[in-house]
Amino acid sequence: MTVLLLLPAIILVGIIFGVPLIRYAWLSGHADSVITGLVAIPNNGANWLRLVNDQRFWQDTFQTVRFSIFSVGIELVLALGIALLLDQRWRGRGIVRAISLLPWALPTTMMALGWRWIFNTPFGPIHHFTEILGLPSFNILSNPQITWIATVFADVWKTTPFIAIILLAGLQTIPSDLYEAFRLEGGQSFKALTKITLPLLKPYILMGLLFRLAQAFGVFDLIQVLTGGGPASSTESLALYAYINAMRFLDFGYSATVMIGSFCLMILACSIVWLVVSIKSQFRRSVE
Amino acid sequence: MKILHKWLLTLCVAIACLTIVTSWALTHIEKKINVLMPSSFSDASQNLAKEFNRTHRGRIHLTITKGPLQTESISDLAISSLILGKAPFDLLLMDVTWVPLYAAADWLMPLDRWFSKSDIESLAGGAKLGNSYQGKLYRWPYVTSMGLLYWRTDLMNKPPRTPDELISVSKKLQEDKKIPYGYVWQGRQYEGLSCNFLEVIDGFGGTWLDIKTGKVGLNSPAAIEAAEWMKELITSGVSPESVTNFAEPESLQAFRSGDAALMRNWPFAWAELQRPDSSVKGLVGVTTMVSSPRHSPAATLGSWGMAILKGTPNPDAAAEVIKFMSSEKAQKELFIKHGYTPTQSAVFNDKELIDYSPILSELLRALEVTKARPETPLYAQISDVLQRQLSSILTGQDKVDDGMNRAQQNTEQILISSGEKT
Repeated sequence: MTVLLLLPAIILVGIIFGVPLIRYAWLSGHADSVITGLVAIPNNGANWLRLVNDQRFWQDTFQTVRFSIFSVGIELVLALGIALLLDQRWRGRGIVRAISLLPWALPTTMMALGWRWIFNTPFGPIHHFTEILGLPSFNILSNPQITWIATVFADVWKTTPFIAIILLAGLQTIPSDLYEAFRLEGGQSFKALTKITLPLLKPYILMGLLFRLAQAFGVFDLIQVLTGGGPASSTESLALYAYINAMRFLDFGYSATVMIGSFCLMILACSIVWLVVSIKSQFRRSVE
Repeated sequence: MKILHKWLLTLCVAIACLTIVTSWALTHIEKKINVLMPSSFSDASQNLAKEFNRTHRGRIHLTITKGPLQTESISDLAISSLILGKAPFDLLLMDVTWVPLYAAADWLMPLDRWFSKSDIESLAGGAKLGNSYQGKLYRWPYVTSMGLLYWRTDLMNKPPRTPDELISVSKKLQEDKKIPYGYVWQGRQYEGLSCNFLEVIDGFGGTWLDIKTGKVGLNSPAAIEAAEWMKELITSGVSPESVTNFAEPESLQAFRSGDAALMRNWPFAWAELQRPDSSVKGLVGVTTMVSSPRHSPAATLGSWGMAILKGTPNPDAAAEVIKFMSSEKAQKELFIKHGYTPTQSAVFNDKELIDYSPILSELLRALEVTKARPETPLYAQISDVLQRQLSSILTGQDKVDDGMNRAQQNTEQILISSGEKT
């Protein structure tokens, strides 16, 4: 009976997630480009051999991982601070809560376009300020060494509120009598953070982390609008590379290979995060 | 009652006549042709479009849709509308490297119906290249362009003709403290680097990719020699180290301000060098790229041309637009007003133009040695591989042989995995 009731949901999820995934996995074993007249022809794993030797794929993997770690890491720290602040009682909290959510509510393409102008040299305000201060101008969007920092910055600005909201929801589930008891026992208020708040918040942190990691790993719109993957492909993400293969090179077979390849890497990354967190807590439990 | 009947009948007949006339008019009245162009071209072509609409009033109405400026963005725009089915354009102004991809994707209409053998014969040298795919004509050249070597007439009597000569002439001038740098070119990791390399590898007698045999020649002795020479330009100080971040504007700036004795660039640079604020005005000569003594020089073809998209309801009207826009008269106007190099060989012999521009004969000579980049639908991918490897060689991250071997291997893999080669 349970299975029967679950069936519609399973079928729905299967169609939405399973079918495209299986289709792409199948396509990754085929040549399907303008050369073949956009007809899929098996090519005996040549796509996968090319992927393993494809310097651009591995460079993009490095760049995507770098982007994900830095943006999600910084977001988590900032969001924790914001959530703790918004959890306190003070006047005007409601308004500040609403305002702090605004970046998250903006469409990514719009805000990316905005940042593109802010970072622009020589027309953007940042260049203007460095000029006033007499600093040397750094071409933020045309220097391969630093452009990726700009993409992280824009992403942090946009998605910190998302994690903050998740953590805020978590904070509100912690009963206040725990803190009261802690205080009565003579605990310092800073220690309350590490002894009560963080341990109880962990499932929410983990959830936010996994959500954001998966999202950051597949980043496309922000990069496409802000830098287009440049300069010299230094900010190109895996999703953008898959898009370029399909839409610019019309090579759908290899595009599918890049997609499935990055999908496997993402599963790997998420399971590592999950394993690390759960092993750590098991370890602590056994120590205690 | 009878009168009413009569009236009704007359009314019906009148309505019927009106419908027939309007539908006839709607199909025969002005045909609308819409052409998508990069913004620089669309601005330059507005006058011609006005002229066309004046002379074809009541028959064809031409509108130019202004696309983005960058080559890649306009291709993205065109492809994403074509991939979804019917494009909202009848004509597309295309870069030379897109032709095989678009033709293989079956988006273009063959033009052989409208352009005869003698039409093709009337094109100047290199303008004939890069318009066909698998024996069918798909694009008609609108403006042409090719790589040129600019040299300073006040610093040397004649331009260097071989790679070794180029280095020795430059070194001599630099040692005599006559000029900070010898030679500037385009070394940034982008399409321009592939264009520069094509000229050098051909000048050393090599081939990047032979389309007929599918043979990749990137680790051939000539290719290694070519890459080594480019690297030597930087290590010997003949080219500034920052040349690895130079595109056309940067090299033009260096040459224009008098910091370099030689420059590789496209024909558009000539007009820029003759402006009043240029410090080398009147001191510049133009010739073809250097080549090793046993081989002839090469100039990379860069040209834009018009293609008719499949699915246009008015292909004949579209062809008429192409003929008008690429006529000798139109080309003269484009050359004088905007510096666009003509495609018709007759225009190069035009007395008025020869008097107007001293480099016209050199442009024609360069057109005779133009080389097209490999004509394959996979061009964008293999060019990307080459740019990456060359860039890492030039910036010293990779040894010449290692980089070129990897370029060879990656290019072959692209050809194999897409089914072009087995």
